[in-house]
Amino acid sequence: MTPRVSKKVPDGKLVRVEIDVEARIEDVTITGDFFVEPPEARSELEAAIEGHNANADHQTILSALETVDATLIGFSIDDLADLTMEALDE
Amino acid sequence: MSEEWTIVDSGTYSEATQQALERVLLDRVETGEIGPTLRVWYRESPAVALGRFQAYADEVAVEYVEREGIDVVRRITGGGAMFVQPGAVVTYSLYLPADLVSDDIRGSYADLDGWAIEALQELSVDAYHEPLNDIAHAEGKIGGSAQRRTDGAVLHHTTMSYDLDIAEMLRVLRIGEEKVSDKAIASAEKRVARIADHVDVSRSVVIDALKRRVRKREGATERSLTDDELANARGLVEEQFDTDEWNRQLRRD
Repeated sequence: MTPRVSKKVPDGKLVRVEIDVEARIEDVTITGDFFVEPPEARSELEAAIEGHNANADHQTILSALETVDATLIGFSIDDLADLTMEALDE
Repeated sequence: MSEEWTIVDSGTYSEATQQALERVLLDRVETGEIGPTLRVWYRESPAVALGRFQAYADEVAVEYVEREGIDVVRRITGGGAMFVQPGAVVTYSLYLPADLVSDDIRGSYADLDGWAIEALQELSVDAYHEPLNDIAHAEGKIGGSAQRRTDGAVLHHTTMSYDLDIAEMLRVLRIGEEKVSDKAIASAEKRVARIADHVDVSRSVVIDALKRRVRKREGATERSLTDDELANARGLVEEQFDTDEWNRQLRRD
């Protein structure tokens, strides 16, 4: 399954999360009109979500995202964890 | 390291060259080869400047841009897709040593959009900054900015609509896609405020007002791009900015 969900962050930007999920989250793509510094950190955020079990909870994903050293502008790692949960529920 | 401001207000280039120049000039501020610089853009053809993190197929009407031969070039900055036409927008870039720019990102957008907003206000266009990165008017969005920060330098570039063809914009960008009724198009058009609808001056008068703000505050001198800067940019066009690998990455198939 490759659910794809998006969210317009209030007072922020549009963020889309697409995941490829079987028993585990295989592949994640995060796109949108947000800003990330450094830009390479976008892939690190994706990698932080990948590999978790398909029934991972919000806190697990959030904790993994917290390890990425990045400045997010227009969205937060909370938004990414929310979107991941939403995608896993699809 | 030079702290002398310069203004580059010449040279018409393809969208790929323009976006490559952003990388070249930001890097040269970072290394101290050049000081703070304002550059005004002149384009060769209609194009889409895609945000760094956007998926190609989410933002542009793929069939239409391919049929019409509209260049779609990914920027090195985040933010949203902009449709541009030669002479119909005002785009400028500021390349600044990091110590001239606030560490507070939200504040720095307001500061650096301030140049353009003051210029528009001088021409009696009631423009204001709308966080995070928009230049707005009561009737809609005039333009948007995007930044890229490296360790020692900041790029802040802004595109404002002068008299952009909004109907064409809606054909090129997917924001126009679901807008099938005339009523919907009217509401989408309302979101874009064009400078020429609010003041009867030529585009070059708008550019002059912007340059005047910078000259007044910083005493800048004008220069052209060097052969070396352009050669560097053309190399990056080949390697990166004119490749599908860069422009169409994050493509959703």
